[in-house]
Amino acid sequence: MESMSLLGFAACAPDAEFRASLPFAVFDINRETIPPLLRRRSSRAMQLAFSAATAACDSAQRSPSMLPCIFASVAGEIQTTDLLCTELVKPDGAISPSAFHNSVQNTAAGYWSIAQQCTQPASALAAGADTFAMALLEAWCQLACQGGELLLVCYDENWPAILDPNRGEPAFSCAFVFAAGAVAGSIIQIGRPQSGAATLPADWAALVDKMPILAAMPLLELANSADSRAQLVFISSTWQVEVRRR
Amino acid sequence: MSSSPLLPPVAVTAYQCVSAGGDDVEALYASLIANQSCLKPLTLFDMPFATVVGEVTSVLPEIRASLKAYDCRNARLALKVLAQAGFRDQLLQAMAKHGANRIGLVLGTSTSGIYDSENAYARLLQDGVMPAEFHFQKVQTAQATAEFLQLELGLQGPCYAISTACSSSAKALGVAQRLIATAMCDAVLVAGVDSLCRLTLRGFNSLQLISPSACRPMDANRQGINIGEGAALLLLEKPSPENAGRPRLLAVGESSDAHHMSAPHPDGVGAATAMAHAMRLAGRNVDEVDYINLHATASSLNDLSEARAVVSLFPNPPPCSGVKGLLGHTLGAAGAVETIVSLLALERGFLPGTCGLQQPDPQCQFPVVAAPNLGLSPRLILSNAFGFGGNNASVLLEAA
Repeated sequence: MESMSLLGFAACAPDAEFRASLPFAVFDINRETIPPLLRRRSSRAMQLAFSAATAACDSAQRSPSMLPCIFASVAGEIQTTDLLCTELVKPDGAISPSAFHNSVQNTAAGYWSIAQQCTQPASALAAGADTFAMALLEAWCQLACQGGELLLVCYDENWPAILDPNRGEPAFSCAFVFAAGAVAGSIIQIGRPQSGAATLPADWAALVDKMPILAAMPLLELANSADSRAQLVFISSTWQVEVRRR
Repeated sequence: MSSSPLLPPVAVTAYQCVSAGGDDVEALYASLIANQSCLKPLTLFDMPFATVVGEVTSVLPEIRASLKAYDCRNARLALKVLAQAGFRDQLLQAMAKHGANRIGLVLGTSTSGIYDSENAYARLLQDGVMPAEFHFQKVQTAQATAEFLQLELGLQGPCYAISTACSSSAKALGVAQRLIATAMCDAVLVAGVDSLCRLTLRGFNSLQLISPSACRPMDANRQGINIGEGAALLLLEKPSPENAGRPRLLAVGESSDAHHMSAPHPDGVGAATAMAHAMRLAGRNVDEVDYINLHATASSLNDLSEARAVVSLFPNPPPCSGVKGLLGHTLGAAGAVETIVSLLALERGFLPGTCGLQQPDPQCQFPVVAAPNLGLSPRLILSNAFGFGGNNASVLLEAA
């Protein structure tokens, strides 16, 4: 496979001030993307993931029920996990069974497959500061081996301040529908992820340090632009991709 | 009729494991043959209910000073595996052969270093602040122990964690196969690591799934599951004449139930799809499978779902067994731990038993092996791992 094609994408940020500071359109959370039965107990992480994933499938005009999916997040269901850990150390702490099964990293992936009636493989990955880069690599490898199309969802809710002071915000999500190879009508084509340190614009550097999932920003910015030059794009401090627009 | 595989196989050139079954694969093999449960009362921390667990009770090694920020029980379990029977030397040889930047690292874990996070939260409750030495991204997040292993070994390839609950490390094997198939890597170290912690013990207890005594997979009188811990490391390499004598990972089939967050599809539809996907990727037929290492947690819903999946896919099911009555359910590590159990079956010629099985559940209509069978040498083995979220993976292995 020479490249993978971006068929549709979307980004979501619940903080209005942060949204307004971005140079491209980013949506607020849309709770309507979660079926009513699942909505009431849905975590912020799940709302972020569903909002971006639904909008990306809409923009690509693809049915979510057919797409294998990869859910990537640095900290996953960290608010639910924090709540459980707080209870676990109290002598009389109560552990809710639903909070427990909703604390796994693949909570959003699992509910997505249930909500969309999607029986395709669903994965959940994490790679710290390289989470976005490894998510693109995983998408690349799946498409190169199996062909077809897939959905990649990257998201992080705010982390509890006690865990990593001054990090873990602002909450953000983005999602992409990719196809194997160069597909007519695609937005951009992305080459094989490679080692290398493409420049991260200074505007983003401090934000990416605070919230590693924001490493997606340069690629999102390019996908939103009309820039037609082939270029190397930052996906982490040690990984990059070549992006072209035909 | 076999057809050509959709994905090239990879060689499993080295593997090692630390679990309740012992500190290395020799001890694990001896435990599998003895088939006496290794489940015992928990010593690591106090629990407000009775159960037995698969605990690693031997001394765990210290993390070196320069990597102290990564110190947690998960990292120590993984480090212990490196020290067994020349495993680290085998990795160093692979690094010399392929180059450190050509070797990837994929970790499967469910709860990462959360046992140590729980200890930090206890200090928070007591002191009002988290301990200064607590590093969230180097202990608790899912990739923490992957990063530790990468730095400990000096690997420089892609490094990430798959965290899909109890299918995590089975899926990590699939990731590794794809990294090699796409020539992103020449070799990948796959790790499945999960330690005992309060979260999973009390969590599964809140779901009323914990058995007070040693669990009995596929038994009519089963009472639930037991939690275990373990670390299993496997080195996968692209096939070459040099490793032609090593067993092969043929495929990892994957699917989603799309049914329920914590309960499997009652008819095992997703489980059957994952097994069928593995067979299709490898271009093999179900009648070629000699043995199935079942997920068989000993929860009624899981066992019956998996039994229906096997019967639906296999007109004549091969012998099947599950080892969680021996080792406990090692959660995110289970896929890798039980792949190693299956590799031992392939390489040493036996079928593992189902420790705890006394009276087979009449609803499980296929041959479940109770005592280890030393008279059969399987050549093609499926090993199942199913997790929360209806996340299914089935690992297909072949003898050299």
